[in-house]
Amino acid sequence: MKIEVRHLSRIEGHAHLVVDAEHGEVRECRLEIVETPRLFEGILKGLHCTDVASVVARICGVCSHSHSLASLAATEKALGIETSEQTRNLRRLLAYGEIVQSHLLQLYFMAVPDYLGAPSLFPLAAARRDLLLRALRLKKLGNDLCQVVGGRAVHPVSLCIGGFSSLPEASPLQDLRRRFVAALPDFEATVELFARLEIPAFERETEYLCLQEKGYPLFGETLVSTAGVHASVAEYRSVLSEYVVPHSTAKFARTKGKSHMVGALARTRNAFAALSPMARTVASALGFTPCTTNPFHNLQARLIEVVHCVEESIRLIDRILADGLRPEKVQPPQGGGCASAAVEAPRGTLFHSYVYDDRGRLEQADCLIPTAQNLANIEADLRAFAPTLFPLGREEFTRRLEMLVRAYDPCISCSTHLLRVSFV
Amino acid sequence: MKPRIGFFDFTGCEGCQLSVLNLEEEFLELLDLVEIAEFREVMSGQTDSLDIAFVEGSICRPEEEERLRAIRAKTRTLVALGACADTAGVNALVRFRDAHQVRRHIYGDDHPHLATDLPRPLSEVVRVDCRIPGCPIDGREFLDVLQALLMGRPPELPSYAVCVECKLAELPCTFDRGDICLGPVTRAGCAAVCIAGGDRCRGCRGLIDTPRQAPYWRILEEAGLTEEEILKEFRTFNIAGKGGR
Amino acid sequence: MPMSTLHDREGVERPWRPMSRAEIEALVRSLSTAFEVIGVRERRGRLTLERIDDPAELRLDFPPHVHSPKKYLFPNWERLFRFRTAGGVLLEPDTAAVPRVIFGMHPCDLHAVRILDHCLYEGEADSAYRAKRQATVLVGTDCTPDAHCFCSSLGTDRVEGGFDLFLHRLGGGYLVQVGSDRGEALLRRHAPAAADRPGDPPIPLQAKECTSRLRFRSESLSPLLEDAYDHPVWKSVGERCLGCGACTLLCPTCYCFNVRDRLDLDLAGGERVRTWDSCQFDRFTRISEGADGRADQGDRQRHRFFRKYRYLWEKHRRTACVGCGRCSRECLSSIEPVAVLNELFEERSTPPPAPDLLPGAEYRPQPAQILSVEDLTPTEKLFRLRLPTPPVFTPGAFLAVSVFGLGEAPFSIASPPNAGAEIELVIRAAGPLTRALHRLEAGESVGVRGPFGAGFPLESFTGRDVLLVAGGLGMITLRSLLLSILARRSDFGRVHLLYGARDVPHFLFRNDLLEWHRSGIIDCRFAVEAPRNEWGLPGAEVTHLFRELDVVASRTTAAVSGPPQMYRFVNPLLLRLGFDEDHLFLNLERRMKCGLGKCGKCRINDICVCECGPIFPYHRVRHLREAIER
Repeated sequence: MKIEVRHLSRIEGHAHLVVDAEHGEVRECRLEIVETPRLFEGILKGLHCTDVASVVARICGVCSHSHSLASLAATEKALGIETSEQTRNLRRLLAYGEIVQSHLLQLYFMAVPDYLGAPSLFPLAAARRDLLLRALRLKKLGNDLCQVVGGRAVHPVSLCIGGFSSLPEASPLQDLRRRFVAALPDFEATVELFARLEIPAFERETEYLCLQEKGYPLFGETLVSTAGVHASVAEYRSVLSEYVVPHSTAKFARTKGKSHMVGALARTRNAFAALSPMARTVASALGFTPCTTNPFHNLQARLIEVVHCVEESIRLIDRILADGLRPEKVQPPQGGGCASAAVEAPRGTLFHSYVYDDRGRLEQADCLIPTAQNLANIEADLRAFAPTLFPLGREEFTRRLEMLVRAYDPCISCSTHLLRVSFV
Repeated sequence: MKPRIGFFDFTGCEGCQLSVLNLEEEFLELLDLVEIAEFREVMSGQTDSLDIAFVEGSICRPEEEERLRAIRAKTRTLVALGACADTAGVNALVRFRDAHQVRRHIYGDDHPHLATDLPRPLSEVVRVDCRIPGCPIDGREFLDVLQALLMGRPPELPSYAVCVECKLAELPCTFDRGDICLGPVTRAGCAAVCIAGGDRCRGCRGLIDTPRQAPYWRILEEAGLTEEEILKEFRTFNIAGKGGR
Repeated sequence: MPMSTLHDREGVERPWRPMSRAEIEALVRSLSTAFEVIGVRERRGRLTLERIDDPAELRLDFPPHVHSPKKYLFPNWERLFRFRTAGGVLLEPDTAAVPRVIFGMHPCDLHAVRILDHCLYEGEADSAYRAKRQATVLVGTDCTPDAHCFCSSLGTDRVEGGFDLFLHRLGGGYLVQVGSDRGEALLRRHAPAAADRPGDPPIPLQAKECTSRLRFRSESLSPLLEDAYDHPVWKSVGERCLGCGACTLLCPTCYCFNVRDRLDLDLAGGERVRTWDSCQFDRFTRISEGADGRADQGDRQRHRFFRKYRYLWEKHRRTACVGCGRCSRECLSSIEPVAVLNELFEERSTPPPAPDLLPGAEYRPQPAQILSVEDLTPTEKLFRLRLPTPPVFTPGAFLAVSVFGLGEAPFSIASPPNAGAEIELVIRAAGPLTRALHRLEAGESVGVRGPFGAGFPLESFTGRDVLLVAGGLGMITLRSLLLSILARRSDFGRVHLLYGARDVPHFLFRNDLLEWHRSGIIDCRFAVEAPRNEWGLPGAEVTHLFRELDVVASRTTAAVSGPPQMYRFVNPLLLRLGFDEDHLFLNLERRMKCGLGKCGKCRINDICVCECGPIFPYHRVRHLREAIER
């Protein structure tokens, strides 16, 4: 049996799924990434530091805020610019907003149709209007948080090196806080929905990697994994190496020769104890345990993170408003330097690393994107999962494999923008 | 029967399709007016004929060209959705670099399967009936264009510059803080969102039909920019890179 | 809608009462129960005019760098009505204007509201504007001009009315001046303590000190521009202009708009809305097939200047600019009206520097050769002169002719401007100088200066019927005009000449008259006072000729030239016939001496005839008490 799913749907970007199996044996199993490489490194080279963040945001429409945040962190580190607590709080809030909108988009619009047996959420507009309305309502919360803090839901406009070029106002933040609280019944309904979904049973041990910080990981300086990685972000290239595969326009990345997983499941596994109380309640309602090795549990992990981010956002808004929003003088960037920084984007750990010349022009850039890190793991999972599906027949076989790919929420648009290879 | 519309994407970040989804409630109302027949990012399945196709992304490779032609063939009205489709967007910056070198630099070697042509706007490959500019698009403008198409009248984009919307929003002029801004020559329709966010206009919506090049260049030169710097400023989103000249 | 109902009993002396900042805040709070209170507040580090929720945020002292209240009285987005796409019943919610109080109206902005009133109440009043205007209470405050303000040049730096309340700063507090009955009632209801207070004496309104100033009186703006229509300055302004329209959008008196349909999401209905438009935009004047009546940016800028300083002046006797400086403050290309207008003025008032400007050089006559001398009447001779260089003038201009020892006198030019260096003068022997001139013969020389003066604008006659009314020597000037017209006869409609003189022998140019009359090229009618005369005309005044005159006033331009007393009778006749004041031109020759606008002898009130005249459109001089004998 050979299947080939061209332009896999309900993922971001273009990939073909090719599986060739015979006599209970998988001969070939590939996720062909056919997205055109955009050669962002070439685009970035020579840009002035003040232009870099707004251009790198264009790598990905779904996680443009994470790219901006990683980029600014790397630039600020390279140029020796400190940020205030206010800036750090607001940026954290923005990251929460992006995780909420990205995860909910994936959960409701990309994953749920698989489990309800529909090609998309739209045909449900009549029969399950409540579901569609709820999905849109919740996603809007995340978008609006990004809009209020970042100035726009896609490609932020109010971030700048050293802080914010425009601060949010108090009243929309108060309004968002009120709406977050009011949305809790919607989140309860979402948890109930996902608790009822029949998640395929499939376990495979792998390495789970994410950042580490005091609380739940978002902006940490240390990289940790279940296989014992414990390294500073600056050393990420010695932990992770990238390689080109012939069937992909995205580079694949791996740790010490094995595949690994980044993203919601990796984070919830590695930092379960740091989750907010509500998030842990959700985990137990979903029957989620941090020792799971089922990649489909990425869905549960995402929902847990959404609730975690909502709860943390409420607290953070309170703190920001209690401190009072003060306009800050942002020092204009000067000189050059080099540094690496990482953030936990919705899909996993995102690295940006820059070298600036002394006029502040970008000489060298390197971005390592979560999906690139997951690609090898997805293929390894497909390889292990496919043989268990042979009895199901072609259609179901294909559907289950697609579901597995979607569980990772791969973002191909992102992954084809991989930059410099360190071993050249 | 409801008009059938489809969404397609090529080389780009999918932020414009996302902006359509981000219309949220309005998007839901849209479902009463049209049938969304194809939208790979959030639905499975394909269709044979479409009334309107919204196409995001630029065209870089022969396979993409082929796929775009196929979409054109089954579509009555084809709309370029966003800067990448409309002007090739930031992708086009690569035109100003040596692509081979860039590829070698990125991938370690010039693998043949990574070869791309220079990013092109849709209109260089097929006939484009109308366009929605911006990186990303403005959701409101998307609805305006769709409404116009459904009513059977040609959509009209603002012919005036971002400055207009900036002034109406009572924003301070970017030039006043010593920065430069493409607002005076860039097509309005974004409500000057970047300037409201404290950034400057980088021209993502493309130039107005008749940019006043001479006075604008003079202003930039008075601000101390060299010709190369001015061109660079224009290139971020404007493929021609001629700076309106 | 008459202004008086808005600002009833304007000018009535009302007490000025002291009020503290705290009381003003209390007033704002109290007003908020019944009105939307608008004012200037700081928001994200900049000042904006918007809704005031917390009275403590209201700024009463702020620089002029803030949007004008136009955005509330004539908003950029205004729904005119709702519609259903497919007919059917439509129940429209009441669109009554929101009752508002706008705090912080600077004097210039109060003047701007009056201009909007003039423009938008004219003819059929704009109901949407009127509703907002009536529902809006205006509270003035004073300001300090910045480098772009030029209100003091336009007399808009102070304001005596047009507001409901005005808060004058006085020491640490304010004096509130009531400007309307509504203002008084609001003060009584919302700040009773202040309203009951005995009034303080009004403080004198302080003239502002603007660093940006017109170097001439604003009354001269319209004539200045009238002559500058084809001036190269518009091209150079156009070349600097980015076409962004900021100047018009921020102008407190610009109100041009576009009307379009905005559909509901479900396409079942929608609304027709109006939005601001700008004469600087590409699509403003474009009609179908891409034709654009004002495609050039220079033409668009000229239009803006003419609208502000000339067209509306001609209509309402005030400029449509209040000198608020918003246009120049926000112009990236630094197009500044004050600089442009001063440049035009200076160029006009300063003659091009001559290399040999010896003291008195401009009074020194140039020699002109007498080509021929012809007797026209017993007292008038026609002199044909050749000037050193071909003169530039319009019909109606005059030449100063000298005889050393006897002096210099002005003479109307009788020939048309297209005769090269040759010029014809009619000189009546009346005194020593003219008698001396009558003694000169062909071949001799005289000294001349000029031509001077502004004549008939031929473009005001082109494409229309023409009525010429001449009395006595007034025919000299009209001959110049008439020959100019005959040179391009087909550009004009019917031409009537009414000519009155003492007696037939006193008709000037009798040969010409007979030829014109016989050829029928124009319609000539003559009147002489003498009852018995060689042409058999009934003895009558020139006004008599109007009785059988068949003219359509609306498409006719009239030129009247004669002795001062003639205008007393002819003007009312023409106005009664329906001639409009823009198309009635008078020759108001006076004792023009220097011809350079200096000597002051030819002034009519504040207008200098040798510079602005001697030919004037009626509306220019109507208000001048000295212009026409009454």
